Amino acid sequence: MGNKSRSYKAEKVIQGMGRKLNRQMVGSLLACVHCGNCTDSCHYVLANPGDPTYAPAYKADQVRRFFKRHYDWTGRVLPWWVKAKSLYTDEELEELKDTVFGKCTNCRRCTLNCPMGVDYATFNRMTRGLLVSVGIMPEGVAVVSKDQWEIGNQMGVLKEDYLETLEWLTEELQAEHGADYPGIPIDKMDTDVVYSINPREVKYDPRTISDAALIFNEAGENWTMPSEGWDMTNFGLFSGDDDLGGAVARRLYEKVAELRGKTLVISECGHGYRSTRCEGQNWAKWDINFEMESSVITMLRYIKEGRIKVDKSKNTEPVTFHDSCNNARSCGLFDEPRELLNLVCSDFREMYPNRSENYCCTGGGGAMSMSEYTPQRLKSAKIKADQLRATGATAVVTSCHNCVDGLTDLIKHYKLNMKVTQLVNLVANALVIEKEVAVPAEVVTAAAEGELAGYRILVADDEPDFVTYAATVLEDHGAVVLRAYDGDETLEIARREKPHLLTLDIKMPGKSGIEVFESIRNDPELKTMPICIITGKPELRKLIYERAVLPPEGYVDKPIDEERLLRNIKKILKPVHKDEEIESRK
Amino acid sequence: MSDELRVKNAVIRLAKGDITDMEIESFVYYAQHDLALGSGFGTAIAMRGGPSIQEELKQYGTLETTGVVISSAGSMKAEHIIHAVGPRFQEHDLESKLRTTIINCLTLADEKGIKSIAFPAMGVGFYGVPLGVSAEITLGTILEYLSGQTGIDEVVISLLDNREYQPYQKQFSAMSQGVEERT
Repeated sequence: MGNKSRSYKAEKVIQGMGRKLNRQMVGSLLACVHCGNCTDSCHYVLANPGDPTYAPAYKADQVRRFFKRHYDWTGRVLPWWVKAKSLYTDEELEELKDTVFGKCTNCRRCTLNCPMGVDYATFNRMTRGLLVSVGIMPEGVAVVSKDQWEIGNQMGVLKEDYLETLEWLTEELQAEHGADYPGIPIDKMDTDVVYSINPREVKYDPRTISDAALIFNEAGENWTMPSEGWDMTNFGLFSGDDDLGGAVARRLYEKVAELRGKTLVISECGHGYRSTRCEGQNWAKWDINFEMESSVITMLRYIKEGRIKVDKSKNTEPVTFHDSCNNARSCGLFDEPRELLNLVCSDFREMYPNRSENYCCTGGGGAMSMSEYTPQRLKSAKIKADQLRATGATAVVTSCHNCVDGLTDLIKHYKLNMKVTQLVNLVANALVIEKEVAVPAEVVTAAAEGELAGYRILVADDEPDFVTYAATVLEDHGAVVLRAYDGDETLEIARREKPHLLTLDIKMPGKSGIEVFESIRNDPELKTMPICIITGKPELRKLIYERAVLPPEGYVDKPIDEERLLRNIKKILKPVHKDEEIESRK
Repeated sequence: MSDELRVKNAVIRLAKGDITDMEIESFVYYAQHDLALGSGFGTAIAMRGGPSIQEELKQYGTLETTGVVISSAGSMKAEHIIHAVGPRFQEHDLESKLRTTIINCLTLADEKGIKSIAFPAMGVGFYGVPLGVSAEITLGTILEYLSGQTGIDEVVISLLDNREYQPYQKQFSAMSQGVEERT
């Protein structure tokens, strides 16, 4: 079997395959009869009808050929007959990488349409793992994997940032519902529910966390969020690294056990649900002694048990539902979200095909992290765009954060007039809250007039109406407000006036807010200036956090009311400037 | 079971937690060849320490495997970071390169007069060094180094979770027993 001309890495990949093979994989590697039934089931094929290299059977053959050459007697005895061929060079490994990472999202739609039951995604994942083990992977896969290995979550959210976000969300909830509102309990022992989330929620979409908190609290749930081991996503599913899969799952399971939680509720995320509930115990070789359920089922249960009341007339927008491949095809979770949608929305429109036959959002399998394949991913998204367009809905709901990003990207690319949302947002919006709520005006009053006296605040936004609005609010509370309407002007005023704080819009003419942000952070004189991003484009939040500079001190989504604007500004200014510093700068 | 071992005038300890958030004089970062802080612990260093660390690293260019350099730790709790390019992804002579990398870290620490240094579970996780191999080589090399002439008086092995802690503790116990028998 040895070959002197084989590269070191190719040898390691072939040896590694022997350790990874199991009955399920061998069955799939042997069973293909090349009937072609899988071909039209693949969204890549549908977008590239003239290119046979996208056909699932062809892609599978790139793995099958060296499996047969080294691990099946037919390939060893009659290699020419069964097209068995070994791997020899690092260039071949790179080509294999482009196939297994760039031409398949592991969505398993081909498996469903295979009369022989060939599960291509399973050995496609195995091949990804073999390549990763010798350091061959897309850059994005390396970054995300390393973050999850070492920081404990796949978006590199530091513990202090996570806890600060939860505290901030608790403050927001209490500002809206009263000072005694429970907020988000952290590390509470012996709860009925331990709630785990996707780090994307902390970093880019914190409203999903506060909406979930609202639902738990309104249901009177005894619940908590863990301070560590809170990431229910698992990049090991995408990278094929079973060790990573096991390490991540074990951290989560151990934390729930330490808190003596009864049920681990997994927020809306397809691959997170599959990894945590279905695969993690095998990867981690870990038995658990608590229940696990999707938050979709939890929310549905609360309504059925009468623990929360909802009013579907609060969600009148026409919505459709996109099934996450991992939820629907791999875990059978497709009827519950529809039942829930029909309880909280008045105009639900089915998308076709759906449930386990649904097409991938095209961002699955970690594809959103692999920027080198973005053009072919977006090209393959045409079938999904056509599906979405045909529904006539103006919002697509999905129970998967990966799908949220994938769908948002394709909606923009194909210019569809749609937004993406999740069930947690719709349920929270439909909640009938009978308790007396605190009057927000009290909070505003608390921000006593003159409280910002002595502060110079630069408001930068290309919308004059917003600048006027924010300036009026801040001036009413004593601040001196400077105004800028584009990026260049913002930088100029910031350098000249050195304000105590900058509120910065992201989309502005000239230099964008992102460029301004980076310039300020890299300017020795300005780098410590507190910055609060205020934007109507929450999806751009990630651009700010992906810079190689310190993150902004605050981030607020538009629309923003007076009370929220003041609260966020004060929150940033207070810890930054001690009283004596304020005095000295007045 | 003790998580502390005395070797001549120095002590080796096992601790659980995030190495980039430790109060210690210096810690080792398992670096990339181009010394880009990148992701993982690199993200934590960049975020907690500030941009000056990456700036400082520019003077070193790129390093071969086993190469080590030192930088300040910016606004982190530690004072210094030793950036060590250890072996990765099943590369040739992994065990001997790992040993050399660890010796290079300790030697550099001594040259700089550093008394206290923390190591992560060297090479495990993303870079794929098996936990058992990492534990045996890391602890064995440190023990051997501290048995010679050195100004280092404290080495902490900072382990992220139980998955890392348990094999290291097993190796540590075996090693402690060996030291006791010799003394």
